[in-house]
Amino acid sequence: MKDMRQEFADTLLEVGKMDEDLVVMVGDISHFRLLDFAKACPGRYYNIGICEPTIVNMAAGLSMLGFYPVVHTIAPFIVERSYEQIKLDFCYQELGVNIITVGSAFDYSTLGCTHHCYVDFALLKPLPDTEIFFPASPRELNALFKQTYNNNKVSYFRVPKLSHDFVFSQEQLIAGKGIKVKSGEEITIIVTGPQLKTALDASERLKKDGVDVEVIYIHTIKPFDQELVLESVKNTKKVMVIEEHSMYGGMGDEVLRAIKGIGGVKYSFIAIPDIFVRDYGSYADICQSLGFTTENIIKKVKSELF
Amino acid sequence: MEGREEVILGNNTMNNELRKKIVDMVYKAGEGHIPSAFSIIDIIAYLYDKVIKFDPKNPAWDERDYFILSKGHGCAALYVVLEKQGFISQDDLDSKSKFKGILGGHPDRTKIPGVEASTGSLGHGIVTAIGIALGLKIRNKSNKVIVLVGDGECNEGTVWEAALVAANLKLGNLYCIVDNNGSAAQVLPVPDLPDKWRSFGWDTYRINGHKEKEIERVFKKIKFNFDSKPKVIIADTVKGKGVSFMETHGPWHYKVPNKEELELIYKELAL
Repeated sequence: MKDMRQEFADTLLEVGKMDEDLVVMVGDISHFRLLDFAKACPGRYYNIGICEPTIVNMAAGLSMLGFYPVVHTIAPFIVERSYEQIKLDFCYQELGVNIITVGSAFDYSTLGCTHHCYVDFALLKPLPDTEIFFPASPRELNALFKQTYNNNKVSYFRVPKLSHDFVFSQEQLIAGKGIKVKSGEEITIIVTGPQLKTALDASERLKKDGVDVEVIYIHTIKPFDQELVLESVKNTKKVMVIEEHSMYGGMGDEVLRAIKGIGGVKYSFIAIPDIFVRDYGSYADICQSLGFTTENIIKKVKSELF
Repeated sequence: MEGREEVILGNNTMNNELRKKIVDMVYKAGEGHIPSAFSIIDIIAYLYDKVIKFDPKNPAWDERDYFILSKGHGCAALYVVLEKQGFISQDDLDSKSKFKGILGGHPDRTKIPGVEASTGSLGHGIVTAIGIALGLKIRNKSNKVIVLVGDGECNEGTVWEAALVAANLKLGNLYCIVDNNGSAAQVLPVPDLPDKWRSFGWDTYRINGHKEKEIERVFKKIKFNFDSKPKVIIADTVKGKGVSFMETHGPWHYKVPNKEELELIYKELAL
């Protein structure tokens, strides 16, 4: 499957060729991957410098003139460092922008906590007129970007390092809609990001143990597909949420809001705990240490949902 | 580059009718930054009279020039000029800071015709202006972009990020006016302001921000050119200019006059 970062560059190139109002600004990252865009779309690609709040704020000026700006760099430097710019320059002023990040959660596993971002969903959800996408396969990124880049909202795309390798059809990929990947009757697993792979693996293993799991995949954190979640959990009354995000303020909150009317639901989750992830090693090493594993899903399902 | 002109303290000024409107508006509103507006009113009045292209009947006119008040707390000056030029009404001024009024303590672009950017948090408007200037350059449109920042605002890091970026992108369509009213010196001084801007790659000018002839001369001197250095005009001004007991830095920053003080202000404005 195509590398996610390459799909990011290819999608911008595809849309940039079709729409002369797409302008891309980066903070000294992905520069070489975007050279094809720069060539095909002269005057619409800028490697501005190492000054993230300024890059974000400049995009507001472009948006005022009717451009569809894309700003791109590492997640913490946009979402955390430039938070006031997102809040005031776009949300408050009713201007649109596409924010596309890499390096969310612990994707930069060897670089330490300065390059981690566990709370992007939590920070961006409360700002009016934001949309939050976590496309974890190339086709998702392409489809969701094309559906939303010119809708005058603050569209945040958290691009993960790795894909979940599951291929959805174009018809399945609709911004704001979750996808029932596997039907089941006993428990609902709601998962976002590359962890879909782990969730599907766990559901197969649980099937062998006689547990019938429904798997719902979420690529749009906001607006959240409450209906799909509600319908499933009404039936199963058992739910597990898996997200590479802080246990505070992420997709788990949205699930709880969606199911608030159902009584007697058992709830479990796997998320990033209330810590800085100070270990290094590979992405897989960190997943292992935080419990983003097939074994941990099975263990929690059996111990917390039954 | 000579130092600040002490002679600009005191004496009569231009635009005292507009100063009175500012005071009346703040008096009715029960809140507002009068001295911060008085230091920039002569500049803003001149810009809208002589420099900026606009159409109050069509504030979104494609051919307009863009003016952004980055020091949003000086908005009382912008409001009275927008009223003078026909963007908003006297009723709007009279309902400043009221529940459903369109004019607040900082300007909101979603409510006020003619306001390009909502400002208030310092260090944003100048960066927005850079984005607009870049966008106009991409579209090959020769509208001017004029942004007014405070010298106190020059404490903000984004001002200097913006200064670097604008020079690097050769945004010759961008004009930045620094309201050099000495506020920074009260907190974190920004010494040698003209030298700083020049060293960041800007064409640098310095004027007395209360003398029409100087404002006029600098705008006549600057030639519009897309691919040149951005321009900065350091305007030496006096906070509270025009009313002796409000001038410079004291309790009047966010103070509302009472009835007696209002009369004293009128007297000083010779109205």
